[in-house]
Amino acid sequence: MTVAPSRVEAAFPDALHGVSQDGIPYILLRPDQLVETVRRCRDELGYTRWVDVTAVDEPNVEPRFELQYLIHSLTEHRWLRLKTQTDDAVPSIVGVFPGANWYEREVFDLFGVVFDGHPNLTRLMMPDEWEGHPLRRDYVDANVEPVDFTVTREALGTGGGNELRG
Amino acid sequence: MAIEAPRIKNTLHINMGPQHPSTHGVLRVELELDGELVVSCKPIIGYLHTGIEKTFESLTYVQGVTLTDRMDYLNPMGNNLAYCLSIEKLFECEVPERATVGRVLLAELTRINSHLVFVGTSGFDLGASSVFLYCLREREKLLDLFEWLTGQRMMTSHIRPGGLASDFEPDWLKATGEYLDSLPKCIDEYESLLTNNPLFKDRMIGVGVLKADDALAYGVTGPVLRASGVALDIRKTNPYIGYETYDFDAVVGQGGDCYARYKVRVAELREAVKIAQQALKRMPGGSVRTSNRKVMPPPREELGTSMESLIHHFKLFTEGIKPPAGEAYVPVESPRGELGFYIVSDGSGKPVRVHERAPTFANVQALPLMAEGGLIADLIAVIASVDPVMGEVDR
Repeated sequence: MTVAPSRVEAAFPDALHGVSQDGIPYILLRPDQLVETVRRCRDELGYTRWVDVTAVDEPNVEPRFELQYLIHSLTEHRWLRLKTQTDDAVPSIVGVFPGANWYEREVFDLFGVVFDGHPNLTRLMMPDEWEGHPLRRDYVDANVEPVDFTVTREALGTGGGNELRG
Repeated sequence: MAIEAPRIKNTLHINMGPQHPSTHGVLRVELELDGELVVSCKPIIGYLHTGIEKTFESLTYVQGVTLTDRMDYLNPMGNNLAYCLSIEKLFECEVPERATVGRVLLAELTRINSHLVFVGTSGFDLGASSVFLYCLREREKLLDLFEWLTGQRMMTSHIRPGGLASDFEPDWLKATGEYLDSLPKCIDEYESLLTNNPLFKDRMIGVGVLKADDALAYGVTGPVLRASGVALDIRKTNPYIGYETYDFDAVVGQGGDCYARYKVRVAELREAVKIAQQALKRMPGGSVRTSNRKVMPPPREELGTSMESLIHHFKLFTEGIKPPAGEAYVPVESPRGELGFYIVSDGSGKPVRVHERAPTFANVQALPLMAEGGLIADLIAVIASVDPVMGEVDR
């Protein structure tokens, strides 16, 4: 798991390759390369098992979202991470891995990243009428009313709170 | 001239759940029925969404351990383990041998806990109520052991970054050994009630078939995938915490129906007992907490004599542990499949992102593949055989 797979590097010579701290190799892609790369990984390199996609939001970095796709090879028992960065939208890979359906909906729901070509891109976790995307780092929940814990004499009445103590 | 009567498609749309006893929590399934036949089945989730992944971002890494229990109430220590392994990967922290063996023991005990509930509830859903009582009887003893060890029956939070929260008492190890020795007979008992029961077999065999290719494309893992004939057990293929040194079989079923999933889990129950017994037998001495002072605080007695220990102690409790910047995902084999926490650290005391790759999330997504075209009564068996825990689906 710790050795960078040379086959993957040879198959995608113009992409940026690396290995994360956990020993899983990654490829950094442009969003327009995504679908083709995932398909080639599945068909040519044996990464046939769908695992995961999630996003990391860094509002101060341009582009702010980094999407992390994880696929697995049953023959080599190895995971492969595909990364792509975007501000708003990436193509959907549901056509390659149908299992990505809910995962992409979850990222859309919680981060607001749009997956172009997704068959049913609606909210998954939050109610349909919810506003905002909760997992964004700068998300402020409009439904939470601020609670004021300050106590004043006026609020307590003339007794200065003594009547509350009995 | 014969006139062909227009075939009127008269289907009925009903909701099963979110409050339905057989959906194991708050899973809602939108069904389109043609008589008794399920034409389409659409699982709808989110009823238990509590924003756990968001909550992680405002807690320190050690506080985060308590959230992992709550994602999967049947597998608390398996979830602790996956979370801690990812953090330890970022630190590149060594864990003492006693803690590693103890983790195997605890992970397998929680697997027994989870599979006992599966066997009980899957029988119960199909009307076999007595086996439910027997399974919960054995699970109750296990929860008593957890309470003895950790002070908690379900939300144990016992596995921590760098080791375990506290050491095992000799009496606890002895009691656990006796409990494990008593289990195989109990499993025989459950099997005598279910495995060859013609009513149970009628409801399970050939029902809810999932093909291996579909399972892989949908990310289905764990016993559900192995029942479809794919030999993927991360404990075997990518061993962690020393699983390669234990003698056990990765159970693979065939057929991919509900009965195969049941058989795989019952066989895994026996394997889990075997692994836990081996772990007990080889339990080495020593500490269960790492000596890496960046991960775990120094022992109390050092604080009076060592300035460095005092500083470490102060820093750990005011700012929390600070993994080096980076990302880590360490997959483990939970009772439900591939579980892993994807953690992104920026070197501060709180994580940038914690994402749980939850096995049930993918397994529930594949529910329509198993249920469509079957009878509505079979859907109960299918949901039971997937063994969903909605806490980790919705997070």
